[in-house]
Amino acid sequence: MAARAPFILASVVALLASSAVLQFGPLSPMVHSEPRVDFADEVLPILATNCLRCHGGVREMAGLNLSDEASVRSVLRSGHRAVVEGKPSQSELLTRISTSDLDERMPPDGAGLSQSEVATIRRWIAEGAAWGTHWAFAPRVSLEQPAKTGAASPLHPRWPRNDLDRFVLAGLDAANLKPAPEASAETLVRRVALDLTGLPPDDALRAAYLADPSDAGYARLVESLLASPAYGERFARIWLDLARYADTQGYEKDGRREIWPWRDWVVNALNSDMPYDDFAVRLLAGDLLPNATDDDRVATAFHRNTLTNTEGGTDNEEFRMAAVFDRVSTTWQSFMGVTFQCVQCHGHPYEPIAQREYYEFLSYLNQTADTDRDDDAPRLAVERSGVKTSVPVMVELSEAERRRTHRLERGAWTAPAEEVLPALPRFLFGAGVAPIGRLAMAERLASADNPLFARVAANRAWETLFGRGIVETSEDFGAMGSGASDRALLDHLAGVLVAREFSMKALLREIVLSATYRQASEVSPAAIARDPDNRRWSRAPRLRLEAEQVRDTALAVSGLLSRKMGGPPVMPPQPEGVWQVVYSGDAWNTSPGEDRYRRAIYTFLRRSSPYPSFIAFDATSRETCTVRRIRTNTPLAALVTLNDPVYLEAAQALAISVRQHHDDTIAVRAMLERALGRTARAEEVDRLVELVTSERARYAERTELARTLAGLAAHDSTDLARDAALVAAANAILNADDFLTRS
Amino acid sequence: MITPNEPIRETNDTAARAAAEVAQATRRTFLGNLAGGAAAFSLGGIALSELLSREARASGSARSDAPTEDPLAPRAPHFAPRAKNVIYIHLAGSPSQLELLDYKPKLAEFHGTPCPDEYLKGEKFAFIKGHPTLLAPQHTFARAGRAGLWTSDLLPNFRTIEDEVCVINTMTTDQFNHAPAQLLLHTGESRFGAASFGSWVGYGLGCETRDLPAFVVLVSGDKTPDAGKSVWGSGFLPSVYQGVQCRASGDPVLYVKDPEGMMRETRRATIDAIAALGRLGFARHGDGETEARIAQYELAYRMQMAVPEAMDLTRESAATLEEYGASPGNPSLANSCLLARRLVERGVRFVQLYDWGWDGHGTSPSDDLLTQLPKKCREMDQPVAALIRDLRRRGLLDETLIVWGGEFGRTPVAEFRDGNKNFLGRDHHPHAFTMWMAGGGVKGGTVYGETDELGYRIARDPVRVKDLQATILHLLGLDHMRLGYMHAGLNHRLTGVQGDAKVVRGLISGG
Repeated sequence: MAARAPFILASVVALLASSAVLQFGPLSPMVHSEPRVDFADEVLPILATNCLRCHGGVREMAGLNLSDEASVRSVLRSGHRAVVEGKPSQSELLTRISTSDLDERMPPDGAGLSQSEVATIRRWIAEGAAWGTHWAFAPRVSLEQPAKTGAASPLHPRWPRNDLDRFVLAGLDAANLKPAPEASAETLVRRVALDLTGLPPDDALRAAYLADPSDAGYARLVESLLASPAYGERFARIWLDLARYADTQGYEKDGRREIWPWRDWVVNALNSDMPYDDFAVRLLAGDLLPNATDDDRVATAFHRNTLTNTEGGTDNEEFRMAAVFDRVSTTWQSFMGVTFQCVQCHGHPYEPIAQREYYEFLSYLNQTADTDRDDDAPRLAVERSGVKTSVPVMVELSEAERRRTHRLERGAWTAPAEEVLPALPRFLFGAGVAPIGRLAMAERLASADNPLFARVAANRAWETLFGRGIVETSEDFGAMGSGASDRALLDHLAGVLVAREFSMKALLREIVLSATYRQASEVSPAAIARDPDNRRWSRAPRLRLEAEQVRDTALAVSGLLSRKMGGPPVMPPQPEGVWQVVYSGDAWNTSPGEDRYRRAIYTFLRRSSPYPSFIAFDATSRETCTVRRIRTNTPLAALVTLNDPVYLEAAQALAISVRQHHDDTIAVRAMLERALGRTARAEEVDRLVELVTSERARYAERTELARTLAGLAAHDSTDLARDAALVAAANAILNADDFLTRS
Repeated sequence: MITPNEPIRETNDTAARAAAEVAQATRRTFLGNLAGGAAAFSLGGIALSELLSREARASGSARSDAPTEDPLAPRAPHFAPRAKNVIYIHLAGSPSQLELLDYKPKLAEFHGTPCPDEYLKGEKFAFIKGHPTLLAPQHTFARAGRAGLWTSDLLPNFRTIEDEVCVINTMTTDQFNHAPAQLLLHTGESRFGAASFGSWVGYGLGCETRDLPAFVVLVSGDKTPDAGKSVWGSGFLPSVYQGVQCRASGDPVLYVKDPEGMMRETRRATIDAIAALGRLGFARHGDGETEARIAQYELAYRMQMAVPEAMDLTRESAATLEEYGASPGNPSLANSCLLARRLVERGVRFVQLYDWGWDGHGTSPSDDLLTQLPKKCREMDQPVAALIRDLRRRGLLDETLIVWGGEFGRTPVAEFRDGNKNFLGRDHHPHAFTMWMAGGGVKGGTVYGETDELGYRIARDPVRVKDLQATILHLLGLDHMRLGYMHAGLNHRLTGVQGDAKVVRGLISGG
């Protein structure tokens, strides 16, 4: 993969003189006084919203599929043509959407298309009905920086710190917005540490930055964080979700599966900043690389995370096919951001993808040695973290054993239709692109000339740092997705990734060093009102910590966190009786010693009974690929951090760390500052001192209750009632909005 | 909405009132935007955030870096419902319909003879190998109720409530292993990852109470179902809609108890302090999520009291406990049935009961038709009948739908695993099985559909799993075609993406 395709350049520089085009998006290469209607940007969304449900790849009612150019131009069963180029009056599409006869009008339900929608389609046909490609499936466009085209912001000329900011600023200017001021150093150091490592900054790092909060100091901080082993653990979480990684097989017995060396492979690969294209190729086809190492083979356990069913009477072929379907779907969701699963049964309802193409792609993943059963999968013996184990890996069938792949009617494994040969879908790769073998397929997918590969990765990086992608529906870049809030910004970031040889750390560095990222999240109500959804990135978002971060941060600020990395999964305390396992004596045995306090990604994940406190914070049971977790805010989450012994233990440890301060004000301030990573406000301290005072009085006569609540702090306690009261205050702090939120 | 100028310290009462106002305000704005109701359901994941941002705009000052509304606020159904609540009693492992409600005298007549070849062509069994023989019903039957339904002697109490019940003898599924069949029944998909019935209902209708979870799961018989907690998971729906397991021992809801040593007053004081800190922050940044969190903590505090109260069977009279056969502190299906009534009374929308131990293969006394099945029926028959009588007495039966059944049926042939004929049992049978419904909107005292003479296949009026699901949603006032959620490019529905499920009018009173 050393040879990288050249960055595709389109000459649109001239166009940039017109700032309207830059700011509002459609990158049509033609300039007219009244621009021609752009099919992909203006017509396709109308069709997708109103027509494709019936006239798309699934139903093709009346023989018409409006997502397919050939169908649109052909003579339909009725003898009409939907579109006659240049002749609106002869085009059945226009007739049917504009008629006042309700029996004839399309769409048949609702109020019909608006006049402006009809006008757009009329004009598009009149102009020749040129077809176009949905932006995300078209090659990236190289853009000159706004600053270099004279379109730089006259209002905030010194604000941008890097190219990224110039794109953001162009958007802000267009909307007459101004960027938020820079966040305080305290806010920034906590934010960037949580974002890049999943942990609050350690004391030394924080102190060093606060002592020198200059640009150079910030850059040093960022370098330290990117170099920290915690970086790989934080970003691995995202890949564990994508890969539906778990420590059990799923289904009835849901027996254990030793696959943790794959998790550690991901952590290591991310920490060593393995180029993202290499990373993808290894996940999909590391076993086929020339001179593949054990590590390369372990990487392929990515697709051994599928569920397996060992119930009696299970048909192996049925569940083998289910696993292959899942691998296809996971591959497309993870790397391409396009929904592909639906093409298993029929043509894509909204995208120009035929069912046959699904099976052509599937055939690449249909040649590995496996039956459904986990114990049948080829395994590789390895020693990792001092533990000898074996990992299920991918092994390609020999030439003689290769399976034939058929299109399956309605996706049913019992209904094979015609045989298909391996090929990549035309809508992205053009006709006749048929790499030979899984490795060649993976290399083609993971290349700069795949329009989606870098865009999806860049969007994911942005989503991780801003809580929402530039394409909000990071699982769907297609016609039915949210679209990109700023295509130029996304393509710029994708371009950075490609230009930096797919270094994810380089991309993340570009983002966190930007002025955009460094904005404050606390801004005036007026500023919020001008950009309520932060569509233009006019401030930093406030984000509830992820499930893993909630645990890790509570343990970190209380000093309990173990930084031991890798190895078999561990079992921190979990309520009695959560595992009630059918047909299996498997039990949750709480890990001893420091394994009780490991980072969340090392917690044993049983698919049929995942760790309950994580689920309350929107983690999943990893049954299928999860691209995006949706944050919720519920009483059940509140109960976890209020009452889970894990968090009470953290509160006790936090209280111990400050109780030597006999002045409650000092003790409370110290706890607040440790937990929130910022200077405590006087009102906050006062409010908690009030709590300590009232609870100390309450526990004064109740020594045994105080001893119990103080817990860890009861040992060596000289004042049980005060220690119990400090634990209550620590418990409140670990539930504070500012603790649970990164701002 | 909380204003930054409010006094920081409050008495418990004023704090509770303030929080209630927050909750109320949140609910109002949410309802204001969702009042269109039906239209919103089909919008799905993308739309959720759209709605939320719209809300933020409407309220002027609030921002929306993340969802801020109450996703469980009550929502209007698509049309007038026949039932408000569901109690779904799932017998995990699947009881034998041929010993309980689908009486087949022909099986007795041909007992021990080889199963006719025409049934076995292309047939797959979970465990049976070779050519199996027909097995007579192992318990006697008698007619009962207005419909004169043949009912097993194993179900004496059921006979007393038969006029409330619509028995469906023609359920059919395409899954013959436990986990996939349970997933299909409860999530509409035989594979993991889809949303469960109760979570769909919570998504569609919200919840009447906020002191208790919207969707509660009660498990008896020691084990969770084969498919694990996925049968009450939220799948691709936001996790707020997943079922909450209320447990008979330990905390009734995970983490609902205060930590050991923490007094109730201390918990109150900490929650007040948490809210005060939150308000100080809100005054600075105006994040609606912070406001919502203050309300959620208040709800959590209320739930801490409401859940143990709802789960406390000692508050029931001796007569009621006796009628159900319930015994506080000893987990059983009887306790679950009584708890289900208590939960429905308190506004819980969907109560899912799972009872383990019905997988009657006949490999030992613990899974055979002569010992285990009568034992399980004794545990089940009395409380289920008591539940229906009790709901009727309290005027709740008309608004509560009861659903009863396993994930598939049992074969008309004997299993005799590995040639062992010491015990009698039946293998998994997907082609035909029995479920029943009672209460809200159900045509009581009827039998729907008919199987063939051997009970092997369906003779008339099959009811596919998705048809049953569509029918239950219909009774709740939800159109299964409009209750959708966009995920991975598909408009997912409980009844599947194909959209071919049918509401079975014959199960509904007044059709």
